[in-house]
Amino acid sequence: MSRRGFLTATAGAAGAIAAQPLLAACGTGGAAVKAGAASASLLQRILPHYQASSLIKPDYASVAGSSPAYLTYPSTLVRTVAETPGSGGSYTAITPLWGTIPAAGNAFDQAVNKALGASVAVSPANGNNYSTILPQLFSGNKLPDWIQVPTFWAPPLNFGQAAADRLADLTPYLAGGKVSQYPNLAAIFSSGWQAGIWDDKLYGFPSYTATFNYGYQLYYRADLLDKLGIGTPAVKSMDDLWDLATEVNDPKGKRWAMGDIWGYLYQPFNYALWMLDDKGNLITQYESEGIIEAMNWLAKAIKAGLVHPDQVAGNYGNGVTEFYAGQMAIVSDGSGAWNAADAQKGQASNKGYTRASFDFFTASGSGTPKMPLEAATAWTSYLSKSLSGKQIEECLRLADYLAAPFGSVEYNLLNYGVEGVDYTTTAAGPQLTSAGTQYAGSAVSTYNFLVSPNNTVYNAGYPAVTKASASWAQRNAGYGYQPLFYELNVVVPNSLSSANAFTPFNPTSGITYEVARGRASIADYQSTLASWKRNGGNKLKAFYEGVLTQQKKLGSA
Amino acid sequence: MTDAATSTARPPGGSAVAARAAATLPAATAPPGAARPGRRWWARLRRDRTLLIMTLPALALLGVFGYAPMLGLVMAFQDYDLYDGILHSPWVGLANFQQLFTDPGFWQAFFNTLSLFSVQLILFFPVPIALAILLDSLLSRRLRSVVQAVATLPHFFSFVLVVTIFNEAFGGAGLLDTFLRSHGVTSPFDFMTDPGTFRLLVASQLIWKEGGWSTIVYLAALSAISPALYEAAAVDGAGYWRRLRHITLPGLKAITVLLLILNLGYALSFGFEQMLIQLPAVGSGAAQVITTFSYENGIVAGNYSYGAAAGLFLGITSVIFILGANKIAHLLGEDGLYRK
Repeated sequence: MSRRGFLTATAGAAGAIAAQPLLAACGTGGAAVKAGAASASLLQRILPHYQASSLIKPDYASVAGSSPAYLTYPSTLVRTVAETPGSGGSYTAITPLWGTIPAAGNAFDQAVNKALGASVAVSPANGNNYSTILPQLFSGNKLPDWIQVPTFWAPPLNFGQAAADRLADLTPYLAGGKVSQYPNLAAIFSSGWQAGIWDDKLYGFPSYTATFNYGYQLYYRADLLDKLGIGTPAVKSMDDLWDLATEVNDPKGKRWAMGDIWGYLYQPFNYALWMLDDKGNLITQYESEGIIEAMNWLAKAIKAGLVHPDQVAGNYGNGVTEFYAGQMAIVSDGSGAWNAADAQKGQASNKGYTRASFDFFTASGSGTPKMPLEAATAWTSYLSKSLSGKQIEECLRLADYLAAPFGSVEYNLLNYGVEGVDYTTTAAGPQLTSAGTQYAGSAVSTYNFLVSPNNTVYNAGYPAVTKASASWAQRNAGYGYQPLFYELNVVVPNSLSSANAFTPFNPTSGITYEVARGRASIADYQSTLASWKRNGGNKLKAFYEGVLTQQKKLGSA
Repeated sequence: MTDAATSTARPPGGSAVAARAAATLPAATAPPGAARPGRRWWARLRRDRTLLIMTLPALALLGVFGYAPMLGLVMAFQDYDLYDGILHSPWVGLANFQQLFTDPGFWQAFFNTLSLFSVQLILFFPVPIALAILLDSLLSRRLRSVVQAVATLPHFFSFVLVVTIFNEAFGGAGLLDTFLRSHGVTSPFDFMTDPGTFRLLVASQLIWKEGGWSTIVYLAALSAISPALYEAAAVDGAGYWRRLRHITLPGLKAITVLLLILNLGYALSFGFEQMLIQLPAVGSGAAQVITTFSYENGIVAGNYSYGAAAGLFLGITSVIFILGANKIAHLLGEDGLYRK
């Protein structure tokens, strides 16, 4: 199973909650700015130098940044960290977990700690309310030694200041060539490290780094369409999608064409949080024409009864189950939804279950599709400022162990546990035992959230899933483009933070949501937009214009 | 005060109310003149010392979890910063309130709160009284306890569960609509997502969840009415309705007034969980209340000062409500929250 796959399989439980901040955070992922931008040359000095490592040749090579994919698990594993990395230190850590929280100090944790040569006590915290415990940890100065803070939850923490006040600066240890003493860390893409830069200093460790990283794609039930005699649908425009949806829709038989696909519509309708209009002026996506068309399209679809009632009602919790049960044929979701766990669960409820994805397309059907990329990772972890230099160095050695790539002994331990206890080796690859599912299986993200290697795709026992998803990624990665402020951690002043939260446009309760459900008109939308602009929105735009100008001046835009 | 308000914000007839009501019952029926005027206060203090000592733990609890957190309310007058805390954040005077009172979203939340509460009060409040009288008139103890157990059970469900059950039954993909769809109704009414009928939905959820539980207080009050009164009335030829009007209802009057006043105190803070869960289904136009507004703008968006301002407004308005209602009760000759 790919680790990224696992991640969103578990994050899938958080559904709309996890997905919601992603959109709002499009513009805030990446490297650091207070009231300006870091120059390319400064970045070059701060960022750890990338040194590729490739243990095993992938079956699907990276194309335009797509993640390399493996159909089989390597039979001989390579040791990448020669000595026990730890020197007996003990550290506390907090990472989010979407799922059942395993007992502390279980056999899997013990095995990992033994291999690390240090005691890392990770307390996984409920991912669903992780964003609300973070402010308490930061303001109360109760941070553990090591903590995961996703960049999309950083804005309310006033993270520029948080980093300087509370977190350890890793720049002196990792900048430039210094990273070379930690080869596994050096093998993480620079774009991943960039997510952990705040105010021109490197603070964060990246997890699940992937260059072709985007918010949503449009999935469909291939087996269902086959059964209906539709075959492989050719959706090249929103009209094609409409035709397909009306063909599939059958509420009387408890099957609706689609879920709430709002999350995905920015791709065909071509808008990104910050963008330039036709005249070259900086606008937010909420001022774009695309978003109006997208709202109208979804409103029409909801009115026509093409969308599952639960999704119209905002009950996203059962979305995955309803997709498995064939109550929805088309849904939008992140890349992590497509993996072995999904195939396994889907086939358990519906034997022929097959997930497939439409290629990116444009609303009109003409022109080249475009997909604004997200920062190479949103998952960054940090060390506490209270650690001594010696402790930080030990943590860096531990991090190097945790970042060991696919095909290594270390990777195997961290993702599958101990052979014979947590997993057994089968022809299809490592298979978790029941103890493994309980501990290694559910705790895997806890260590991966501290730091993990670049994303790779592997689905134990489901090579067909890898084939389909990897070839999809190879076909579509080229459509990705870097939107404005890509990979830039913009720290907005306190006075603009409320406008920067885009609360009136919250995708699951704000005005776009209401318009799509026919409870508000486009005129209402315009007046909400005008009131947002009056209450700080215009100032926020002016601030971002300043950042843009500075970026241009520095040549990093 | 937001903390205090939400921690005591339980539906009418919650355990605190029950305990309180039970405590006032004997007083309501006891002969007047127990506390003789003219006694000096320290003599009363001496006399009641045991009782006063017994209240100390409760006072300590109230102090620690009710009053101490109120200090944090000063952030409503600051531009609160997580790292500077309430001691070092800059003061901004009434700026947060100025923004609050010009925010159409806030006023919508305010009026939603009032309208949802009024409908809830009108539809829900009489239910436990009627149910209690009904239960009290049942002769079979067995039947009575079965009915009471069934009616009380939903109180122990969380609102997440209550809303889910309602959704499974009345939602767009629920039992009722699926049945209607398979019998030729193309677009059946979706009770769960219609903002127009949302107030009725909220009230019916509350009746189902709390109706049974809230009868407990009234049943206690009913059992305190002397059977001799009923017997005497019956002997004098009073029928069921006359006995109800002249004995039962007056017997319930004091507790009803007390609960009504306490209810008004919860008016603005009621239904946080219930609304938060159903906000996406009907939209903020119908379901945004002050508590969810405060949560969304304060906790979720990280604008703590603004959220605190909304919370402080809520607290002060609630106090005004409760004192006003108490005053009216006193003017009408009732005990209200305390005897004058």
